[in-house]
Amino acid sequence: MAATMELRCWGGDWGLPSVHTESLIVLAYAKFSGATITVTPIDWTWKTLTGTVPELVYQGSTITEPAQILNFLRKQRFNADYELSARQGADTMAYIALLEEKLRPALLHTFWVDAENYANLTRPWFASRSPFPLNFLVPGRHANTALSRILLTKGESPLHTITEVEGKIYSEAKECLNLLSHRLGMAYYFFGNTPCSLDAFVFGFVAPLHKASLPSSPLQSHLRQLDNLQRFCDHILNAHFSSHPGETSALRRVCVSLYIDDCFRSRVLGKGYKDPAGFLIERVSENLVNFRSCKAFSKHRTYNFCQVVICSRSNT
Amino acid sequence: MCKCMSVCCLFVFSEDQILLSDCASSLAVQAYLRMCNLPVHVSCRSNAEYMSPSGKVPFVHVGNQVVSELGPIVQFTKAKGHSLSDGLDDVQRAEMKAYMELVNNMLLTAELYIQWCDDTTATEISRPRYSSPYSWPLNQILAYQKQWEVRRKMNAIGWAGKSLEQVYEDVSQCCQALSQRLGTQPYFFNKQPTELDALVFGHLFTILTTRLTSDELGEKIKSYSNLLAFCRRIEQSYFEDSQAGSSSRGYSKGPSLF
Repeated sequence: MAATMELRCWGGDWGLPSVHTESLIVLAYAKFSGATITVTPIDWTWKTLTGTVPELVYQGSTITEPAQILNFLRKQRFNADYELSARQGADTMAYIALLEEKLRPALLHTFWVDAENYANLTRPWFASRSPFPLNFLVPGRHANTALSRILLTKGESPLHTITEVEGKIYSEAKECLNLLSHRLGMAYYFFGNTPCSLDAFVFGFVAPLHKASLPSSPLQSHLRQLDNLQRFCDHILNAHFSSHPGETSALRRVCVSLYIDDCFRSRVLGKGYKDPAGFLIERVSENLVNFRSCKAFSKHRTYNFCQVVICSRSNT
Repeated sequence: MCKCMSVCCLFVFSEDQILLSDCASSLAVQAYLRMCNLPVHVSCRSNAEYMSPSGKVPFVHVGNQVVSELGPIVQFTKAKGHSLSDGLDDVQRAEMKAYMELVNNMLLTAELYIQWCDDTTATEISRPRYSSPYSWPLNQILAYQKQWEVRRKMNAIGWAGKSLEQVYEDVSQCCQALSQRLGTQPYFFNKQPTELDALVFGHLFTILTTRLTSDELGEKIKSYSNLLAFCRRIEQSYFEDSQAGSSSRGYSKGPSLF
């Protein structure tokens, strides 16, 4: 049996297996090509500061960067691009370059440089996933790297301020999203009926923008107008990342709000329960396998609304 | 109705000063303007970089407007009614933009890397040429400052860790993609040249006709015969009618393809 490949990446949230673009690219490609990799999130470890993410470890050797990892997987016979023609392979390279040049600066700006998004979403998320005292260092370091990258690649001398380039990078990113939408059309994937590496790259770039709840984002509003790109992300999530125990260690929390009518309440109270919440816990426990905890609490004093929170964690 | 544009003046570095990447960009813009049938007058200045609004050469000066770099120049000429890509549909336009970014991402970055991050080339060719119009100590300061700037940028985009072999390999892959896209067609979008053809021509022709410390880059491109034929075709169609001392020969530091 082949030794298992281990991928170290940032953990998941917002309905995604990982919130980090490069990690998402590798995870998506692994699913598309059928590679079995063990995912080890670096959350709450010191690797949040020292490690390069994502990182594939296999038989003692370490490979970083999505392009290198994808090449390595191809050499291990996990090839999702097998059915592409030479011209489609060339198109793949071109579109990946387009994503890197046009979309990446705006995404970096949206998540790491825009003050409102950074303060309300990005920094709390990354700080909460880093151990003390790294939670003070890790987000700031990423933000500085993002800002310097934007200025060095897009900033025009002699005025190296971020406000000068903001307009330009956002208009280029919107144009890039439009181009991707035109190219995708009504299809599920970019080339034919099976996903390939270009789909993995587009998914990695677009999915965080689609799923994150950003307080202020003109780019996200622009994406909301492009139905086919949203459908593309949702389709990949449903088809390849729906819950499968043993493959992810994401924490899933399902929250169900129930309205309890008098009839139900009388039946429940008749069975000797103090309130519907306890009754519901027992019923849920009977019917769900693989869950960690279940809490139910009632919102109203008259117990008309009951909220059941089910936390389940798949086994790794 | 498109108004005839007044002659535009293209500013570039002088021949002794110009480097591979700037030469490639300048040639691309020239090819594009010739393809649009716009008269262009080339003017060589040693401070062209500082005159440019974005800090990059080349730039054109038309009437009272100054526009630099191929992308904005294409948009500017389009606003005046001259465009090469009007006949393309949305999907083709997406492909064209993607391939232009591929050339910028791979070829231009590789050229910058080879010029400034490879110590041999930087010491023997790039620094002396870049600082040739200036006297000591300004020439040393400017040359090292430029090198430091480029190295910072390479660091930011993750190219600093690459070796020269990996860069040559990337260039080869990029050329393979371009070659496969071109196939047996005369231009990238069949019968008519577009700005993508101008950009690819600018970079490939410059690499093929520039003498560097090693010929490996040129050899990588020569292995793709359809790209060679493509360059020759554009040179014959658009640059052949120039006089001796023409702009294309003015930039070639080695034999031309002709």
